[in-house]
Amino acid sequence: MTGAAVYIVGMGIVSSLGLGLDETTDALINARRALTTSIPFPIASPQHLPVGAVSLAEAGQSPPRTHRLARLAADQALAGCETPPDAIVLGSTTGGILTTESLFGQKIDDPRRYGMHALGSVAEDLARRSGCTGPVVTVSTACSSGAVAIKLAVEMLRCGLARCVLAGGADSLCRLTYFGFNALQLIDPDGARPLDRDRRGMSVAEGAAMLLLSLEPGDAACPQIIGAGLSCDAYHATTPHPEGAGAMAAMQAALDDAGISVSDIDYINLHGTGTIDNDMSEARAVKTLFVSGLPPASPPASSIKGATGHPLAAAGALEAVVAALSIERGFIPANVGHRTIDPALGIAPVTSPLKRPVTTVLSNSFGFGGNNASLIVSRTSRRPDTSRTASGRPGLTIVGRACLTGTGLTDETRRVFFAGYACRGLLADGTLAQGLAPRLIRRLKRLPQMALSLAVHACNGVDAERMPVMVSFGTAWGALSETHDFLERLTETGQQYPSPTDFIGSVHNAPAGQIAMLLGAKGANVTTSGGDYSFEQALLAAELLTRQTADPIFVAAADEHHPVFSPLFDASVRLATQPADGGGGLLLQRRQAKGATCIDLVHYGSGEPADGMKALIQALGGAAAMDRRFGAVMVGLPAGRRKQAQRQLNSFLELSRFQGAMIDYRRLTGEFGGASAVASVLATEMVARGGVPGPLVGGTDQPLNGKGMLVLGLGDVITAIRIFPS
Amino acid sequence: MDQLIAELKTKIVDILNFPDVKPEDIQEDAQLVGGELGIDSIDVLEMVIMIEKDYGVAINNKELGAKVFATLRTLAAYIQEKAPELPN
Repeated sequence: MTGAAVYIVGMGIVSSLGLGLDETTDALINARRALTTSIPFPIASPQHLPVGAVSLAEAGQSPPRTHRLARLAADQALAGCETPPDAIVLGSTTGGILTTESLFGQKIDDPRRYGMHALGSVAEDLARRSGCTGPVVTVSTACSSGAVAIKLAVEMLRCGLARCVLAGGADSLCRLTYFGFNALQLIDPDGARPLDRDRRGMSVAEGAAMLLLSLEPGDAACPQIIGAGLSCDAYHATTPHPEGAGAMAAMQAALDDAGISVSDIDYINLHGTGTIDNDMSEARAVKTLFVSGLPPASPPASSIKGATGHPLAAAGALEAVVAALSIERGFIPANVGHRTIDPALGIAPVTSPLKRPVTTVLSNSFGFGGNNASLIVSRTSRRPDTSRTASGRPGLTIVGRACLTGTGLTDETRRVFFAGYACRGLLADGTLAQGLAPRLIRRLKRLPQMALSLAVHACNGVDAERMPVMVSFGTAWGALSETHDFLERLTETGQQYPSPTDFIGSVHNAPAGQIAMLLGAKGANVTTSGGDYSFEQALLAAELLTRQTADPIFVAAADEHHPVFSPLFDASVRLATQPADGGGGLLLQRRQAKGATCIDLVHYGSGEPADGMKALIQALGGAAAMDRRFGAVMVGLPAGRRKQAQRQLNSFLELSRFQGAMIDYRRLTGEFGGASAVASVLATEMVARGGVPGPLVGGTDQPLNGKGMLVLGLGDVITAIRIFPS
Repeated sequence: MDQLIAELKTKIVDILNFPDVKPEDIQEDAQLVGGELGIDSIDVLEMVIMIEKDYGVAINNKELGAKVFATLRTLAAYIQEKAPELPN
């Protein structure tokens, strides 16, 4: 399956190597190793581990460091751009955590100070600054986040959702990653030496890189992203597959997507973190893939992480920019830090920078949870593939569904909700774990247990050929229990004894990784994070990833209530009558199926502009079609944005002249990030049974008469999910 | 040494959070990691932290770890040898 190429029309970069394309190139062609023991936060031990740090002139906690890095890269990528991008896709794993760590350590409990904690707040900040009012999506798949973000941006362009997308990754150094990776014994005390015989680990780093991607070339020489592939190991929470099976699948998927073969690659930018296991697994994958093809010798390969350190979510984007620079400026960067060939790897990296023309680069990024991404950057001009248009595609049919709320799993939630009663609250741990093997969940706290429960129940009784191959999971706040417990123990033990288990569990993509392992789902595995719209982002990612495949995908969102963090971070939780959490999941497959219930995301855009609601109604087919197409609307009015959301709702009713039932679902589900996933599952039930229960509309049961339902999200973002009989 | 082994069994069971494993299920000379109990690399990392915290003994690289965590007895012997506060 080959997809159209997209042009890189703008680039921005900041890392330990410097600021901007020229400083970066200069450092790379001089093989400069930019690791330091000067850490941007206090370290109790006199022994500092080497890191890749950015010299930031301004200090202070607001905006947080990740936001500042992202701004630096975005400003470069957008320089000279007259119109804002249509969409932004950003990879991040840290968000405002560095600021949160400092505040939490000082026991500061003023929620206003935590306003930029969320991962999604980095991309939202870029959207505000650039004037972008389209989809703003945050991807968190650990160390592959930046590359996965670029993959989603490429698919957005290919399907015509956007004409110009700002995509990349940003992460700052923070205590969580500095101490967390060290607790996993994955840090080389002498600094990262990727692929070296004596390598002992990585060096944690920070940075940001952004690419402005477009279907129109900026100039004749402008490099392109010609292919991108994703996969999941579904093997282990942190350790890569020993034979590199997932890495190979991602590289092969990228080659197929680009429609080229291994012989077309003339430089491999390795993930090459410097850990014993990653480098071994990646080397095996590269060897298997390239030696089996032609020519017999594999192309020059290097990892730049001995120079930059490992900037986590920024890495994939940073290395995409380096790949483009390598093509534009004709050089291959050296594998800095490497001294001794490791015969066990079977590949030898480039040890000094090479000046030579480069046409096509393969760039790898692999992350925790076995989340793999490979990108192919090239100067080869290819004609956009217009053979596949959106109109010819079958819809996403709903094959399985599950939800959980304070009242219980799907059946209990449906019973209570359909009777018009509140199902909000916190489900007891024992009930949550129903159907999950005790050994499976022995190390898992609340959010991953919720995720597994949703996956197990949604896939219950599903035929083997419909079981999910891909996973797309949304969460507003990630694993709050693990994050809290990690930081608390770190503080209490004077930074001495951080918990490895809590660190592993704290990454946003841990729940999706658990789902993949449980179900053996080895296709794309994406985690999105965008506040109350995280489920909508996961659904958007699912639509993009299923453009050309009938592989089933499990799409879910969930959020846990944490007594300390939830009220600090989430304004809606502070205003809620009682603590609540839960989530919902749908097993989807793109296929023609008469009588099936289908789902699609019709609109995702900023809640700010006055014409936002007009755009939504237009996307729904105009006011005239509203009552013909939809029998009822589930509307999400987050308590923290109730006034704004109410205004938007009034505008919706006025413009659409919609007469059907409106269900204000958060009054019943409670206030939590994944509430719209619960609403979508319940709406699916109503569409499938063909009616809205009377108690929900204050009267008798209302038949839908073959019409669909809408799940409307209001507040900072306006979203619309359509659920309809095919 | 026997007392240390008994103490370690309790601590390990606590770390593992296996609902169906009791201290007496851990055999002193059986393979500790990857054996029947299902102890994996993440459990090893937790044990490393516990041993450093409770006994002041650091096991900070994988080669050493592979030797020390071979069996419960090798682990106890290593702690006995290196711990500043344990009587020999």
